[in-house]
Amino acid sequence: MAVDQDYNYIGKSVPRIDSYEKATGKAMFIDDLKHQFKDLLHIRVLRSPHAHAKLVKVDIDKALALPGVETIAVGTDPDIPWAYIPYVSSYYGNPARDEIVWAGQAVAIVCAESVDIADDALDLIEVEYEPLPFVTDSVEAMRKDSAPVIGPETGIPVGYQGPQEEGPNVLGSYKLTVGDVKAAFAEADVIVEGTYNNDKKSASQIEKNSVIVEYNHQDDGVTIYSNCCGAHGVVKTKICTMFPQLPESKVRVIQPFQGGSFGNRLFPTIEPMAVLMSLRTKRNISYVLSRKEMYTSSPSNWPAWTHVKLGAKKDGTIVAEEFKTVEHTGASMNNVYDGRLSGSGLVCVYDVPNVFLDGYAVATNTMPCAPYRGLGCPESEWAMENIIDVLAEKLGMDPVELRLKNLVRVGEHNPYGEKLTSCSVASLLKIVADEIKFHEPCEQRPGPWRRGRGVAIGGKQNTPLGRSEADVLVHSDGSIELLLSVDEQGMGVQTTLQQMAATEFQVPIETIKITRNDTGRTPFDNFGASSRTTYTAGNAVLIACADAIEQLKEAAGRKLGVAARQVTIKHGKAYIVGSHIEEISIADLFEPFSFFAQQNWGLQKGTPVRGRGVYCPAPAVPWSGPGHEDGRTPRMWNWYQYSATGVEVEVNVETGQIRILRIVGTADTGNPINPKLVEGQIDGGVVMAVGFSVFDGHMYDENGVLMNPNFVDYRVPTVLETPLSKHFKRAICPDPLSDGPYKAKGMAESITIPVGPAIAIAVNRAVGIRPTVMPMTAERILKLIKEKEAGL
Amino acid sequence: MRTAEAVTINISFTVNGSPYTIDIEPYKTVLEVLRDDLRLTGTKQGCEDGNCGACTIIMNGKAVKCCSILIGQARDAKILTIEGLEGEDGLHPLQQAFIDHFAIQCGFCTPGMIMMAKAVLDENPHATEEDIREAMHGNLCRCTGYVKIIEAVEAARDHILAGR
Amino acid sequence: MRFDYFFEPTSADECTQLLNEYGPDAKPLAGGTDLVVKMRNRLLKPKVLVSLNQMPELGRVYKYDDGIKIGAMARLMDVSRSPLLTGPWEVVKRGAGHVSSTQVRNIATIGGNTCNASPSADTIPGMMVLDAVATIRGPQGEREMPLEHFFKGPGLTALERGEFLQGFTIRNFPNGNGAAYKKYAIRGDTDIAIIGVAARLQVDADNVITDARLVVGAVAPVPLRIPDVEKLLIGQALTDELAVSVGEAAGEWIKPISDARATAGYRREMVRVWTKHVLKEAYGKAVQK
Repeated sequence: MAVDQDYNYIGKSVPRIDSYEKATGKAMFIDDLKHQFKDLLHIRVLRSPHAHAKLVKVDIDKALALPGVETIAVGTDPDIPWAYIPYVSSYYGNPARDEIVWAGQAVAIVCAESVDIADDALDLIEVEYEPLPFVTDSVEAMRKDSAPVIGPETGIPVGYQGPQEEGPNVLGSYKLTVGDVKAAFAEADVIVEGTYNNDKKSASQIEKNSVIVEYNHQDDGVTIYSNCCGAHGVVKTKICTMFPQLPESKVRVIQPFQGGSFGNRLFPTIEPMAVLMSLRTKRNISYVLSRKEMYTSSPSNWPAWTHVKLGAKKDGTIVAEEFKTVEHTGASMNNVYDGRLSGSGLVCVYDVPNVFLDGYAVATNTMPCAPYRGLGCPESEWAMENIIDVLAEKLGMDPVELRLKNLVRVGEHNPYGEKLTSCSVASLLKIVADEIKFHEPCEQRPGPWRRGRGVAIGGKQNTPLGRSEADVLVHSDGSIELLLSVDEQGMGVQTTLQQMAATEFQVPIETIKITRNDTGRTPFDNFGASSRTTYTAGNAVLIACADAIEQLKEAAGRKLGVAARQVTIKHGKAYIVGSHIEEISIADLFEPFSFFAQQNWGLQKGTPVRGRGVYCPAPAVPWSGPGHEDGRTPRMWNWYQYSATGVEVEVNVETGQIRILRIVGTADTGNPINPKLVEGQIDGGVVMAVGFSVFDGHMYDENGVLMNPNFVDYRVPTVLETPLSKHFKRAICPDPLSDGPYKAKGMAESITIPVGPAIAIAVNRAVGIRPTVMPMTAERILKLIKEKEAGL
Repeated sequence: MRTAEAVTINISFTVNGSPYTIDIEPYKTVLEVLRDDLRLTGTKQGCEDGNCGACTIIMNGKAVKCCSILIGQARDAKILTIEGLEGEDGLHPLQQAFIDHFAIQCGFCTPGMIMMAKAVLDENPHATEEDIREAMHGNLCRCTGYVKIIEAVEAARDHILAGR
Repeated sequence: MRFDYFFEPTSADECTQLLNEYGPDAKPLAGGTDLVVKMRNRLLKPKVLVSLNQMPELGRVYKYDDGIKIGAMARLMDVSRSPLLTGPWEVVKRGAGHVSSTQVRNIATIGGNTCNASPSADTIPGMMVLDAVATIRGPQGEREMPLEHFFKGPGLTALERGEFLQGFTIRNFPNGNGAAYKKYAIRGDTDIAIIGVAARLQVDADNVITDARLVVGAVAPVPLRIPDVEKLLIGQALTDELAVSVGEAAGEWIKPISDARATAGYRREMVRVWTKHVLKEAYGKAVQK
């Protein structure tokens, strides 16, 4: 269909549909809704101060006797649905039963008339712990003789693959074998290796995890207002699994606005306990985590410890790569981690014929992990990009040239055996190297600050993650409504999808109303993760629009006695070829109800045409099992997003501080639907990554307790950590994805990947050291500088 | 003046031009009174210790973080919140600029950001990018990387200056 | 967070009377930016708050013949911009301007920052090198105490039952005095200081140091004056070498702890570095005059 340029919204920076509400304070976030509910009870939680302990006794009698305390839940209560909590006591916020596996785990859940009363009650609960040996460091946890994260007598498996021979805390392992690594290393002219690690980190979105559960007395069901991702795919699914007494028909989940997530809100850390309390008390419940709990008791990322070895020919051709990578999952018991996710980043950027990836996941007595923007790839590729720079140095080769020589290319097969469908990483790399003037020396100034420049690249797969559905309603007055359950964590995807629908119908954008994320009204969507929403939900929207348009064409054809194919739907009208009537408005296709001719099986006033769209990416190819012993699968991932960063930094040789002077971020975005929204993702991703590369990470004390669970000591970037506007550049590099909606793809994660390595490489150029641990805190950098000065 | 030896105190102040006189528990913060008693939920809470800046309001002409101010400290105060910014002729130039420059993503920090920016421009209509950044480092945002926020504040500044 | 009574005395007499009556159950409330947070986090549970906000005279900053007086309720933002704080007094401005964010400085007070008695308080090292004297108001009237002696430990002060901090007196300094303060923190003012260093140097006509003060924050339970290290400066002109060696000495003298902000070793190293820089800056200002 020829696109009428007046109504082609693709590639246009249409203002966000939610910005007026958000700019005026009218947008209602979860905690803003609580005044609408009478009879609210509030939840506060007693949490373990021990990293690992036996729970000997929890005495709640005094607390229960406190006026205003309604009920208290402990792990031994019969209504804690243990049979349906697969992850021991981690993601679902339930109180521990017999063993505490991290400091911050729930011990008792208090439900009271006010937050203050609940807090008072916490002080009255008496708990007896029997501390056990614990482990918070992933390298130590990997050892065969490590303290077990969970006692074997609990009978709870650590990982999904059963006991592993490598040690008691190993969740699972994944191996990828391509070619003959041993032989290739033997033929390599140059071999480099290195070990890299990073600290745990937290997404630190500004809105805290919040939920209100409304008890419905009519049917003993619940309505859940939550800022969790996945109203259908996460919250409703998990609640219905955990509470079999609640039929799906009686659980409704509404997600109004989300104040950020970045992966943290992919698990219902508070919803199940709020529902439990609502069922117990038959009252409405409010539960909001404190900022401290956001760090101690809502998911962190998983760091990746990586040992990498590369073998190359003199001309720079990389012939072999070998990785051991360990995902550090915290106390994430019985989970599906095995090294595959972080490992995917290690093999997706460079085209190397011989690969061995030895992947693991290991548990520790720390907060269980969840995805955090990049799904473990910023953590693993930190190793890859740093070692590439080391290899370039050893070869005496320009690192940009070395990278360009070895990059994956569209149309070729990657180590998984997947055919690469979209990638512009080579252009990205050239753009940032030029923009940051990587090949020119930095001007140095007197004083303790030394300058240097660095570039790095990154890539990330899109994990398919199930289906999206979309319904489009063409109402009988011709207005159009899109029903979606996409998460709106802030990225602006509602606007993107509105643009697509307006373009499909060739109507002014304001014609498209978005109704979003209410399981009582909007169709299924799994959850917003892995940069999937534009792609997956976008395709569902296109299918739904096509379905509705087809129905309208049929209806117009029937009405005017022409074939559907003679009808074109656009501008709110049906245009007809081959009839005396050239056009008819959509509204006129709907017949009014007639008292004298009651039956009307065609389109009728008051009831819309409903177009349905379901999109489920990637064929169901198994990820493991017979035929996949080498870890390869022709379609494990869906498509890839790439990025590059160039940076100029200043390093203080007296203090070890790193200051970002200039930065340029780029991403390949498929065909960008809304360029300003894409820019926003680049900006935000780059600065978030500056934070976790240089400033922010978890710190644990000698008791395994998180030392910095607050916004003072967990140092997320402020505006002062962002370079001045004139020194902050970004570029969008469109690289159409053939199966993307309007050839778009997701892009919000890969942007974070090259930032840390680019900074490390710039630090190397500035002061001649090679950081191996993220974040590159001032203390760590100063230590390396001192070691270098001492000739160590 | 020994005001009250009762559980509540009686206190008067104005919010967005409307006068209020209320009997209120003195342990409530200004944020709690705004949100829970006056139902002005545009002012947000992102932490409990005055570090995120989401609760920024303008009190007696100065930007403050009202999560750590007791209501007794607002005696006779003139308070301006995000709800009071939109005038009869439409959005405040800062609100419009935040929209036009895509300075809003999840939107949770936005009210605090805009109020802080207003205080900056009220005090210094010619504030430079550096001035704006120095004044706004007490407001955290996790989505935007601050780039478009600063762009928006500078655009609003220019718009306001041009309109004089 | 709850308490029973909230008083807003309008006179110092009334204020001390209330504080005396309720004793340890009562806390004076200044800007509240520390107190309210500690109460919400249940670290402090006073039953009575006595607000100092209805005594406007407590917020005054004014010069008098022998020096300058800074009221305890002077807001940090106002202090950081006060045109009266000139010469060596400027170090007080500097310290006040480094506390947290704009919004916090707009309401937090210099007296509150003092009585919070954090070893890392930004306003204290500067005032201590200026030999600031605290004026304490109690049931028996006023008493004065060198600020140096005011701190008894983290969160602990010399205030006794019924007393509150009324303000500070800082003397005049003759020409040849220069003072400087450096807050070292990773993200600048947003962070609590890893360490803070203040120094005041007085030089004679030959630019030889005749008097010195060195105070380091966040390296001991209280802001720490180091007379033993100050002595090393007396009778000398400051050279780069001397600045380095005095920095080394300061680094040796302190006994920092490791916490979420930095390890003890890093704090020691930073005291070395920033003592050196602060001495140079203070000396530069002293010899100009």
